[in-house]
Amino acid sequence: MFGPLGKKLIAHVSIGGFSFSFDLITIIVSWIVIALLVIFALFLRRSLRQDVDEKPNRVQALLDVLIDLVKSQLTSSFSSDQLARDLFPFIATLFMFILVSNLISVIPYFESPTKDLNVTLSFGLLVFFMSQFFAIRKKGVGKYFKGFIEPYPFMLPLNIVGELAKPLSHSFRLFGNMFGGAIMLSIVYSFLLTSWGLPLVVNAFYGLFEGAIQAFVFAILAVAYINVAVET
Amino acid sequence: MLQEAEHVVSQISGADIATAAKYLAAGFVMGIGSIGSAIGEGIAAAHALDGMARQPEMEGALLRTMVLGQAITESTGIYSLLIAIVLLFVV
Repeated sequence: MFGPLGKKLIAHVSIGGFSFSFDLITIIVSWIVIALLVIFALFLRRSLRQDVDEKPNRVQALLDVLIDLVKSQLTSSFSSDQLARDLFPFIATLFMFILVSNLISVIPYFESPTKDLNVTLSFGLLVFFMSQFFAIRKKGVGKYFKGFIEPYPFMLPLNIVGELAKPLSHSFRLFGNMFGGAIMLSIVYSFLLTSWGLPLVVNAFYGLFEGAIQAFVFAILAVAYINVAVET
Repeated sequence: MLQEAEHVVSQISGADIATAAKYLAAGFVMGIGSIGSAIGEGIAAAHALDGMARQPEMEGALLRTMVLGQAITESTGIYSLLIAIVLLFVV
């Protein structure tokens, strides 16, 4: 049932004639990331006060500042305040999950789930379907399909390809950055295992800096794609 | 000497040449493919810096737009990385 592929641990399952393959390490680390986020959220909730009139404590003040920051960023990026309010939980959840799963690769023996194309492609498709759903809800079905034959009817194939290329490039970008960082890390580790300082610096760059930048880029591109789909 | 060289050449099979071509192609793909995205990202950063120096109060919006533009510019580099990975590990 389990067969090693390089350093990966793949589970092959066949259900009713269809065979599926699962990368177990990706799934396990994804669940660890989810557990970390949930534990962190529960931990933060304990320090929140229910009474509005009371003076807020330090954690609550910090959370207020953070949420205000994200909200102001979203309202300035989205065309309407209603859209920003609707999509705030989605974008924030996406950002937090990708950020934590990028940063977890700093811990040795933890492979970040975003290094797997299956994970990033599912995020890309999620953003794609969200953008189409919000576009249909905003414009109505007729205007939505009319948008594909604008400005001229012969642009229809180009518009469809352009729309379908967005989730592909969106997910390949995150995957390529994370996988390329992992390849660079493995090369540096195989060359320079004797000099202890440099791998730490490279690991910090690819794990912390690139991870944070790429999570930010993914969230901001999701905002831009949804905004473009709703507006035009 | 000449006979030795001929012997070595006769040892090279088609599979060896294909492997050599694979590694060469992967190297060329990464080297040439990253030129464009590197130049594009540099131009974006330079103009964003110009804008920030001229109007420091616009820094937040400029930074966000710069990162967005750089991420889109980067995609050609990412595609070449993917093709290099496919050449090395899949083909």
